[in-house]
Amino acid sequence: MWMSLTSQNPVIVTILALILGFVVGAFIIIFTTASILDAFRGFFSSWSAPGHAFKITFDNVGAAYRDMFTGSVIDPAGFWHSLTTGKGWDNTLTPISETLTYATPLVIVSTAVGISFQTGLFNIGGNGQAVLGGIAGAVVGSMIKLPMVIHLPVTLIAGILGGALAGALPGILKAYTGAHEVIVTIMENYVIYAFLLYVVLSTPYQQPGQSNDIGRSIHSSAQLPPIFGDSSGLRVSYGIFIAAGVVVFAWWFLERSSLGFDFRVTGASPTAAKASGISPRAVVVLVFLISGGLAGLAGIVQVASTTHYVDGTFLIGDAGIGFTAITVALLGRNKPVGILWASLLFGALGVGGRAMQAATGIPFDLATVIQSVVVLFVATPVLVKEIFRLRAGKTQALQLGTQGWG
Amino acid sequence: MTIVEKPTTPVPKVVLHNTRTRVIGGIMIALALFVIFVFALGSSSGSHSQLTFDPVNTTNSPIRLGTLTVLTRWSNLILGLAMLGLGVEVFWRQPRRGVMARFGGVAVLLLIALLFWAARTGGPSQISYVNLTSILVGSSEVVMVLIYGALSGVMCERSGVVNIAIEGQFIAGAFIGTIIASKTNDFFIAAIVGAVAGGLIGLLLAFFAVRYLVDQIIVGIVIVTGISFFSAYLNQQVFTPYPNLNTGNIAPSLPIPLLYKIPIIGPLFFNQSGFFYCMIILVCLVSFALFKTRYGLHVRAVGEHPDAAATVGISVARVRYINVALGGAIAGIGGVAFMASQGQFLPDYTSGFGYIALAAMIFGRWRPSGAVVASIIFGMGVYLAANLQEFSVPISGEILQMFPYLITIAVVAGLIGRVRPPAADGKPYIRD
Repeated sequence: MWMSLTSQNPVIVTILALILGFVVGAFIIIFTTASILDAFRGFFSSWSAPGHAFKITFDNVGAAYRDMFTGSVIDPAGFWHSLTTGKGWDNTLTPISETLTYATPLVIVSTAVGISFQTGLFNIGGNGQAVLGGIAGAVVGSMIKLPMVIHLPVTLIAGILGGALAGALPGILKAYTGAHEVIVTIMENYVIYAFLLYVVLSTPYQQPGQSNDIGRSIHSSAQLPPIFGDSSGLRVSYGIFIAAGVVVFAWWFLERSSLGFDFRVTGASPTAAKASGISPRAVVVLVFLISGGLAGLAGIVQVASTTHYVDGTFLIGDAGIGFTAITVALLGRNKPVGILWASLLFGALGVGGRAMQAATGIPFDLATVIQSVVVLFVATPVLVKEIFRLRAGKTQALQLGTQGWG
Repeated sequence: MTIVEKPTTPVPKVVLHNTRTRVIGGIMIALALFVIFVFALGSSSGSHSQLTFDPVNTTNSPIRLGTLTVLTRWSNLILGLAMLGLGVEVFWRQPRRGVMARFGGVAVLLLIALLFWAARTGGPSQISYVNLTSILVGSSEVVMVLIYGALSGVMCERSGVVNIAIEGQFIAGAFIGTIIASKTNDFFIAAIVGAVAGGLIGLLLAFFAVRYLVDQIIVGIVIVTGISFFSAYLNQQVFTPYPNLNTGNIAPSLPIPLLYKIPIIGPLFFNQSGFFYCMIILVCLVSFALFKTRYGLHVRAVGEHPDAAATVGISVARVRYINVALGGAIAGIGGVAFMASQGQFLPDYTSGFGYIALAAMIFGRWRPSGAVVASIIFGMGVYLAANLQEFSVPISGEILQMFPYLITIAVVAGLIGRVRPPAADGKPYIRD
């Protein structure tokens, strides 16, 4: 399978894929920015025109990517200022805090998706599962009042159960009727989006006195507080420990537990799994329960740490977290640790995209386009090597194998 | 290849088949009872529903049919009993063929009963009539787009490539289509350019799937995500400063002389936009090409048994490239057609139609004719779910929105195991 390509120096492939992604992004910027195109229109009008055109190009593309970086990682000037004067650390650390905040639910959903991919199942419904988890958790977090020691865990568990419920449908249908999980999960996503709208627009959960699609805020006893306190303005919350825990759990589960071994055997060879006494039906249902549950946890972590309520566009705006998670899982080669790095990277791209839009007006959707391009190249290491062979003279033959409608 | 594989014993499958048919029959009976007790006996005995047949815009329909008034209770009772009959028949006889067709029939009857009930006098609705023609014409737009998508799926999957990027081809077609249509107001050029755009995306899919053997579902989904956000990016970067590129013209209808005057059938089949006629031609063309020509034989051979096809000298890769590109082109035209009926391009406004089309293709057993029937059922469901609000049905609009997708899930679950995809569908071909 293409996942086993890890042995062929995956880091290099990933870095080259990233470079290609940003190159494609640069071309997209060039071809859609009026000022650059205008400069190129007068390319042959004077001796200085070509230089001017290239300068404008580099200025625009450079500014976009620079804002992406300073908006998501660190602004060197601000960092130097804080280092020398000891002031303004909150400002300096905001980009990285935002990236971590963005990456927190993403790590969890991506791990959920990665587990299903490792079992040879396509969970495209991470988005719906996360949304249903968020709804379930938000209802418990806002409509019940309990001391924090009980309330927070109960809220998180409600989120997990909500996600697992959403995961159960495709799992059971796949196991008992053979319905392909890709279609079922995609359709289920739309069902859950509609359900989300219904929930935030109807009486028990809708914010009282509101006619918009906005739900009640969860009580502070159900919230994951920011690590550095409310006053710092840094939004990164204790949710990152949950995300880290999920990564460790997924690693242990896949690499060390016997059920995880069953999962991976099923993914590598369903016939071998069946021959060794693993029930394929049980595996399918369990994978979707676990994957859905984790995605649901991501949804409620997002509510508990960042949004505090669920509204009509919860986790659907931007890419839709479940779809970003698919690209993250592929980039991380479905390995928990790889997924962790990939989420941080794509978290930075997402946050940086926003910063880029604020500073230069280039829409942040570009970041998602770059992500897709990167993942296409990561999934096609042969192509990456072929592209770069022209310069580096590297040749390597790789063989891939895949699977289809199941 | 000397090992003779033992044929799998068919016995357990038959058992599964029977329980499955029983379950489907049971669901049909339950729906029938629901109609009888809620829609028929639940409506007061004196109330009646009106059916009208004249399109909303009557300029092109000189012949009027007037209205048909029926008693809600009795007509719904008849519909419910018909549903019950179909359900009992499936449950009892467990027919081997046509179960899902009967299920589709029951679904359509259910919707009609719901319309009668919603439009009854004394009901909550302001509208006390059901305009059959406008329902048919309205849903024909959705049906048309689904047929384009399902046809595209048939083209690709018959050659062994899963085209899950239909949604992406719709988006690309709609995006390019609105630019061309806004600039030139010529939908013929828009369709051609949309076809090229969809075909290029098909080639991209084939490039990764055929040449680099990447998993087709993964490539497809990544392509859809990429295209979806590329279009959102362009929407903001290009359409916001230049709104005249996205004016959202609706394609004009081209009435066919004389025939368009026939009531009901006229507005439905002979007073449509060019995209509708093009769709009908494409359905015939694809059916003919796949099942009656030499090339179609090659395509099906490649989709069923690429090794055998390669042995007799057919280039598997070439056939797949061509078919996926053509399939993408069909979906691209579908995207333009969608834009030409919905108006202005908006990011995400195809809302999963590409995937519903894919399900329709499975429902239609990978055949163009089946895809048409399936698209009609799905399209009617989508249209009615979106428009039932007009009749003040006491179900919230958000819940109604779920129905098309729920129907799709139910159909896919009820169907797999009864239908067989092309044997090499989704499997990359590795030449030895």
